[in-house]
Amino acid sequence: MIVHRSWHWIAAGLVLSLLAIVGVLFGTVRLRPGDVASAFTGSAAASTREIVLTLRAPRVLLAALVGAALGASGATLQATLRNVLAEPYLLGVSGGAAVGAVAGLVLRIPVALTPVAAFVGASVAVMLALGIAHGTRSASHADVRTMLMAGVVVGAFANAVIMIVLANVPLDTIRGALWWMMGSVGDASWRNVSWLAVYVAIGLIYLYWYGPEIDVLTLGEESAAALGVDVERTTRRIFLASALLAAASVAAAGLVGFVGLIVPHIVRSAGVSRLRPLLLGTAIVGAALVIGADLISRVALRPTELPLGAITAVLGVPFFLLQLRRAQ
Amino acid sequence: MPVLFFATPQRNVAPARLGRRVLVAFCACALALYGATACGGAERPSARTAVANVAAADEAASGLLDDFGQPIDLRRTPTRVISLNPTTTEIIYALGAQSRLIGRSHWDKWPAAAISKPDLGDGIRPNVEQLIAARPDLVILYATDSNRDAAARLAHADISTLSLRIDSVHDFDRATRMLGRVLGDSATGAIVADSVNRSLARVRVATQPLPHPTTVWRLADRPPMVVGGGSFMSELLEDAGARNLYAHLSQPSPVVAIEDVVIRNPDVVIIGGDMGASSTSLGAWNSVPAVTKGSVVSVSSDLVARPSVQMGAAAAALARALHPGLVLR
Amino acid sequence: MIQYRDVTVSYGKGAPDAVRNVSFTAERGAVTALVGPNGSGKSTLVRAMLRRVPLASGEICVDGARLGSMPRVEFARTVSVVTQREDTTFVRTVREYIELGRFPHRGHRGDDSAAVIHAAERAAVTTLLDRATDAISGGEWQRVRVARALAQGGEAILLDEPTAFLDVAHEMQMFEMLAALATSGIAVVLVSHQLNLVARFASSIVLLSRGSVVAAGAPEAMMRGDLLESVYGWPLVVTRDPAIGAPALVPLRRAH
Repeated sequence: MIVHRSWHWIAAGLVLSLLAIVGVLFGTVRLRPGDVASAFTGSAAASTREIVLTLRAPRVLLAALVGAALGASGATLQATLRNVLAEPYLLGVSGGAAVGAVAGLVLRIPVALTPVAAFVGASVAVMLALGIAHGTRSASHADVRTMLMAGVVVGAFANAVIMIVLANVPLDTIRGALWWMMGSVGDASWRNVSWLAVYVAIGLIYLYWYGPEIDVLTLGEESAAALGVDVERTTRRIFLASALLAAASVAAAGLVGFVGLIVPHIVRSAGVSRLRPLLLGTAIVGAALVIGADLISRVALRPTELPLGAITAVLGVPFFLLQLRRAQ
Repeated sequence: MPVLFFATPQRNVAPARLGRRVLVAFCACALALYGATACGGAERPSARTAVANVAAADEAASGLLDDFGQPIDLRRTPTRVISLNPTTTEIIYALGAQSRLIGRSHWDKWPAAAISKPDLGDGIRPNVEQLIAARPDLVILYATDSNRDAAARLAHADISTLSLRIDSVHDFDRATRMLGRVLGDSATGAIVADSVNRSLARVRVATQPLPHPTTVWRLADRPPMVVGGGSFMSELLEDAGARNLYAHLSQPSPVVAIEDVVIRNPDVVIIGGDMGASSTSLGAWNSVPAVTKGSVVSVSSDLVARPSVQMGAAAAALARALHPGLVLR
Repeated sequence: MIQYRDVTVSYGKGAPDAVRNVSFTAERGAVTALVGPNGSGKSTLVRAMLRRVPLASGEICVDGARLGSMPRVEFARTVSVVTQREDTTFVRTVREYIELGRFPHRGHRGDDSAAVIHAAERAAVTTLLDRATDAISGGEWQRVRVARALAQGGEAILLDEPTAFLDVAHEMQMFEMLAALATSGIAVVLVSHQLNLVARFASSIVLLSRGSVVAAGAPEAMMRGDLLESVYGWPLVVTRDPAIGAPALVPLRRAH
């Protein structure tokens, strides 16, 4: 029996706000709550202000944006691919972004441009995957399975390229590449939070606009065509939008896995089935999850920071198993 | 890719049992991974036994052991030496024994004359075949676990190895004297070691009366890494009249959180070498007050990339940068 | 209402035509059935209506307007197609599912919830509205699908094998419902293997074989043993059912 209760929304919103506050209150350095509050009103010591406003606050925001982007992208891809195991890193997004970032590191481009390199890599990989799917399609419509396989193939190729590139570089380049690939919101600044916010807003609005179409697409290509959807064009556009959302978040924070896979499951199991509320729900829950994971990564083994992508995976697997059991 | 793990759900297994099975498999994998990383540094018994057998057959009489625990053979003076470590290569030149050097690692660039020696590749996980083909009678390795395999294989091929750990000033002193002895010139070895010690002492004495600024020496940005107490660079800093805020950490290059650096608020941030001192490339380090104030000292990586005979000059350069107006004889 | 005129569909150069010069008309208020052996092109005709395959020649018209020049959404408001299979990965309430049928009316003034209830009443699934789509039986599911088709608000419904997996009771229920819909003025086009039921409920039968129309007409004229045997390639006999007087197809055994 599916029940869609409004208290779920309130609870989700509360949890997100709470986690955001906790994310700013806690960190490697122990600060008193009063000091943290006064940092916002401008009356705290310079170092406290620096930590709270320049290091922690943008970090929490970046984590929220990354989580929202990945959650929404995952929900959309699962609906469009009609496969509950789909996640944003299909279509070669993660592999391509990694190739872009690693190439940038090896070529020693300014470190601030690594996100740009990652984004370019991700976009190229998505185009490649779409091109492969387009080229091998039969009977003039893109088969969803071909799209999936093309993405997996591009991803595998990207991994190979990365390993070849890393075979002959100095140790510190390898360390930098690995660190990037393990995911982190440690590079958060108000500047990159702003541009990510723009991308995520555009992506979410675009997907929200196509919400009813995506709902119809879940019925299958023939039924969707029967209801008046231009299946091929809509599918391609949605893929691109989801992939670019994922690429933007990878560019900002490296590879943060599992979020796009499990967050849609969590929200759907609460009874949300239409895409528009699903987008909102996965954005909230995704943001909360990544903020929480970042908090753990900062606090668990201080002063060392654990990689964000590892924490989301460690959180993700038991969640997934819980879902499997509850679903029956 | 996480997706592939779940690619084939078994529809005919009851879901509760499936969940439990997957959980057990996951725990098993996690344990195996932990075991692998924890035991990664352990030696392989078979390689050790082989090396020990070869050594026993040679009846080495010195009683000295290198940093892999292998006996050092002092009976013959090596004439074809390969040095796979910038520090030891430089020491060999300082000892005047460079005519016996037949190969170096790719990263050994000091002194400038060393570049004319054949480049035999990486110093860590070296290409053993290439080493054997050069027909050395001594190979000097950096004593890290990744090189144990190479040491064993060289021993199998009847080539003597000398594996030295060189992280601190004391390690450098010991290595210099050891190399002097092995190369048959203990006297010069002692002279070089003493000279370096004296040059460091000179800087130490000169900076002793001066106020010691608190410092953090930044090594990397992503993740943020600093010079810790386990590195010779920390000792250089102390000699140069500064206090390393992370000297209490025993690793040579620990990872720290920027927040921690901000709250400790060092007077000076030191940047090693080849990245420019411009603040645009400092990333999150820009939050550290010292960086915003411009209180950043940049030091040439040629001087500080490795423990070397130049350590006195390195400490002097640091001291001059940290204490403007300081005059050193 | 729906007119196929000399429709030819080919799946590739050199391949034989999937359908060739197929023409028939489906009128409002009538049940028109497309029958024929597997591979005779019935599903291709449905796909052609969905514009999933291009027409090599001929045209399909809906109320006189050519299909090719009709915007997809306008088509969806006029003709509903219930395909053979549908993806059921995502579970929703029956109400939400029927609401998907209102997609072609997105952006138009109209009371979607009233239309959904009306469609549910006509398909007799009002009691199922708050159930989950994976918690209803196969027969109920087929009726729910028809309800969604009705919610589109058109005057024609095309169904591809709607009773394929249904038991006799649900099958009869479905046929009776389709007949009632036809009586209310809708053009019902039905692709089916169930010759006996088709003969009782359809007013016009189009018999296809290897992509061409072999014969078309009223059930009485079409239910002839010699005709059907030549098309299906199996010894058949058409008898008259003593209970209800309708023609009944009986296949004979070949092996003894």
